[in-house]
Amino acid sequence: MGSKEEEFQKRLLSTFKIEAGDHLKTISAGLLEIERMESPEGHLETVETIFRASHNMKGAARAVNMRDIEAICQSLEDVFDMWKQEGINRSSEVFDLLYHSLDVIRMLLSPLDGKEITIDGNKVSNLIERLSGIKTMRIYDTISFTRGESLLNKETILMSDADVVRIPLARISSLLLQAEELLSVKLLSSQHSADIREVADMFEIFKNELKKVCSKDESFNRVEGHIKSMERRLLTIKKSVQQYSRSLNRMVDNLLDDTKMVMMSPVSTVLEGFPLLVRNISNEQGKAVDLIIQGGGIEADRRILEGIKDPLIHIVRNCIDHGIERPEDRISLKKAEKGTIKIIVSQLDNRKLEILITDDGMGIDINMVRASAVSAGIISQEEADSLSEYEAMSLIFHSGVSTTPVITDISGRGLGLAIVREKIEKLNGSIILESHLHRGASFRIILPLTIATFRGVTVCVSGHIFVIPLINIEQVIRVKRDDLKTVENKETITLDNRPLSFVRLSGVLELTNIKRKTEDQDFIPVLILNGLDKRIAFGVDEIMKEDEFFVKGLGRQLLRVKNIEGAALLGSGKPVPVLNVTDLIRSVLKGSYATPELMAPEEKGVKPGKGSILVVEDSITSRILLKNILESAGYSVKTAVDGIDAITTLKTGDFDLIVSDIEMPRMDGFDLTAKIRGDERLDELPVVLVTALEKREDRERGIEEGANAYIVKSSFDQGNLLEVIRRLI
Amino acid sequence: MDWEEIYRRIENVRLAIEQGFQPTGEALQRILGERAKILAGGAEDKSERGEYLEVAEFLLAHERYAIETRHIREVYSVTDLTPIPCTPPFVFGIINVRGEIVSVIDIKKFFDLPEKGITDLNKAIILQSKDIEIGILVDAVLGVRNIFITELEGSLPTLTGIREEYLKGITKERQVILDAEKLLSDRRIIVDEKVQL
Repeated sequence: MGSKEEEFQKRLLSTFKIEAGDHLKTISAGLLEIERMESPEGHLETVETIFRASHNMKGAARAVNMRDIEAICQSLEDVFDMWKQEGINRSSEVFDLLYHSLDVIRMLLSPLDGKEITIDGNKVSNLIERLSGIKTMRIYDTISFTRGESLLNKETILMSDADVVRIPLARISSLLLQAEELLSVKLLSSQHSADIREVADMFEIFKNELKKVCSKDESFNRVEGHIKSMERRLLTIKKSVQQYSRSLNRMVDNLLDDTKMVMMSPVSTVLEGFPLLVRNISNEQGKAVDLIIQGGGIEADRRILEGIKDPLIHIVRNCIDHGIERPEDRISLKKAEKGTIKIIVSQLDNRKLEILITDDGMGIDINMVRASAVSAGIISQEEADSLSEYEAMSLIFHSGVSTTPVITDISGRGLGLAIVREKIEKLNGSIILESHLHRGASFRIILPLTIATFRGVTVCVSGHIFVIPLINIEQVIRVKRDDLKTVENKETITLDNRPLSFVRLSGVLELTNIKRKTEDQDFIPVLILNGLDKRIAFGVDEIMKEDEFFVKGLGRQLLRVKNIEGAALLGSGKPVPVLNVTDLIRSVLKGSYATPELMAPEEKGVKPGKGSILVVEDSITSRILLKNILESAGYSVKTAVDGIDAITTLKTGDFDLIVSDIEMPRMDGFDLTAKIRGDERLDELPVVLVTALEKREDRERGIEEGANAYIVKSSFDQGNLLEVIRRLI
Repeated sequence: MDWEEIYRRIENVRLAIEQGFQPTGEALQRILGERAKILAGGAEDKSERGEYLEVAEFLLAHERYAIETRHIREVYSVTDLTPIPCTPPFVFGIINVRGEIVSVIDIKKFFDLPEKGITDLNKAIILQSKDIEIGILVDAVLGVRNIFITELEGSLPTLTGIREEYLKGITKERQVILDAEKLLSDRRIIVDEKVQL
């Protein structure tokens, strides 16, 4: 069949593609470096590098029988060889042609991805002819170039052979995923350690109590030995669990750190394409721009770098499009003819990465920003006038605000910077814009170096658990229910003698506001959260504990969910939503949340522990669903899996109401109802049938057997069920 | 003991066994002919019925549906489902599949399948394409079988009430094959919302 050979050929080609990609990067970075060097001296080394890269690529292309690439590489090699001998021909025409040849090679490589691109054979021979023409051109241009940092990362070139192993990103990602998963094992083991300590303490108390009560008893002597040996065992287990937990902690932390290191790449990997990008855009717009990159060697998590790439491209495009003036305008403004864009990367001491993008262009006109925000309806004229310069400048990140009157294909729609900020916020970073009219603008982006664990607080709201990042929590307090004051129909609390808006988290999250029976009803646990320079008090049902978490995405279907940042895993492996506090505050400011029903009269009627209910249901999901709904509403709930089970359970305790399914194994809901009605002790017990059976005769039969209410599952909603129960108990 | 008799019996048995392994020429022809028929018949049958879909059948609210297995990454037993607030009604929530968060949806709501109320959704069929993975909650997975394309009827949307666009086909036994490809590439399934001030 030869399929093995085909397979081999395929593998060979994909290896070649990766190798060729590397060579192409080296050559284009080298060309850019040469193009902008001030003096022809000192770049012999770079020419040597790109000469060698084209030579190697030529050899590799021959090995996989890619003749066109081989021929182009041969011509490139000839040009670079000539440069080595006779010096560099630096007309931009020559460089255009060289970049073009790299593009053609890329195109020739792309069919290997499965994309079908047919390239005219003439195109290649034409290109080769033009490349050989370079040798006869002798135009040396003398435009001066500003010097930046070398784009060729010397270290990676040195390391490229024996010490580096290429591993597909997907495999590393899966490794990281597994390492991150261990964090929940770590949390669980700490939990166990705490549990066993508690048990040991309980045992100690039990032992002492027992001694007090019956130490003079003869029987005490008999059990004393047992108690002693149990105590010894317990203490041994406690010790070993604690030891195990400690060493597990250390191992998991080390493993995570090392895995995170694997994910680190230099920032330059993202900035690679930028010089070419700047060159192309500025050529298109007839502008002259130099790009200077500093600090590209600083390393950060690859996922952060991937996420920052598009925003950076956008900002740089913006700088060229809106910032840098045309050469003639710059001259009349007494500026250097060529504009400069700098990308300066530096590492801040708090494990943060700073990327500063500055241009020396015309800057941003703050009054135009104000005017645009007013005309886009984001703020009113009075508000615009009262904004400080800094506040007004941050308006540029709102969608719909743009200072460009003309919409180009690059920018001007006023969407760009809004998306930029959002992407950066998603990476847990921030962006600030500073601008001086006519002197330029600078964007300062702060990002975390690694996708790190964060500390967060778990809270319980309407029966759901959420994680709130500690960084957004200013204070945690308990507020007396009576201290809630309504101001202009909005609830407020007083903190340090200052009023503060109060909202219920359940309302903001659009959760049904069912009351839990909390131990001290007189107090509401409250978190003071901050974001967008605002503080708002959020009431929850319960504040659980503080812990360490990872934020994970919600999967590729839930790209972005209002008020939810992502998910974190609890020790049990259960995923819980992590709240996006900035979004929460936005939601509150917007007023798009359910009004608090704190004062609603029907809510007041709900007392804790108001009744016990037996849920009879054969499906586990439905059973748990019903149990949760009823428990959240303050009832105590027991469950049974079918009619027979229910009869047994009814004998063991007192119930105020039964909620039962109809279709169940062994004994169905109709028979159960009949049985209950036939029992002297139970014939007053209200029965609610919840069922998928929708037929009229079923409903009639249910009533006939003595059911008090009949709820069809398809029209099921919990408000309805609770209402019915409230009427029956 | 009559040893002679025993030896003779053993010898008879030996002969009988040897003969049993060597059928006569006629019997041999017959057996080979039957085998050839079976083999040839199978091939003929296959070419006649043509291409087939491999589907996984599942139960959802007491009704049987099927989805092509080539879109299925795995079937996962759901022990813990976390609802996500502020999402459209067709989103059930998220589950943790070995450290990876996968969202699960209610295809009844999304496909406009007839609502039959609360069911026993404890299995997630995780569908995957190049761009997305998503879990659909079902009551039970019944198994995998092949359905020949020639057996598939076109759409009979009135039969089930499902939106026609998500129907891959209906078998003669009125089994509905859902089009997972359509589902996975449907932009409406993507949740991408934020709070605008």
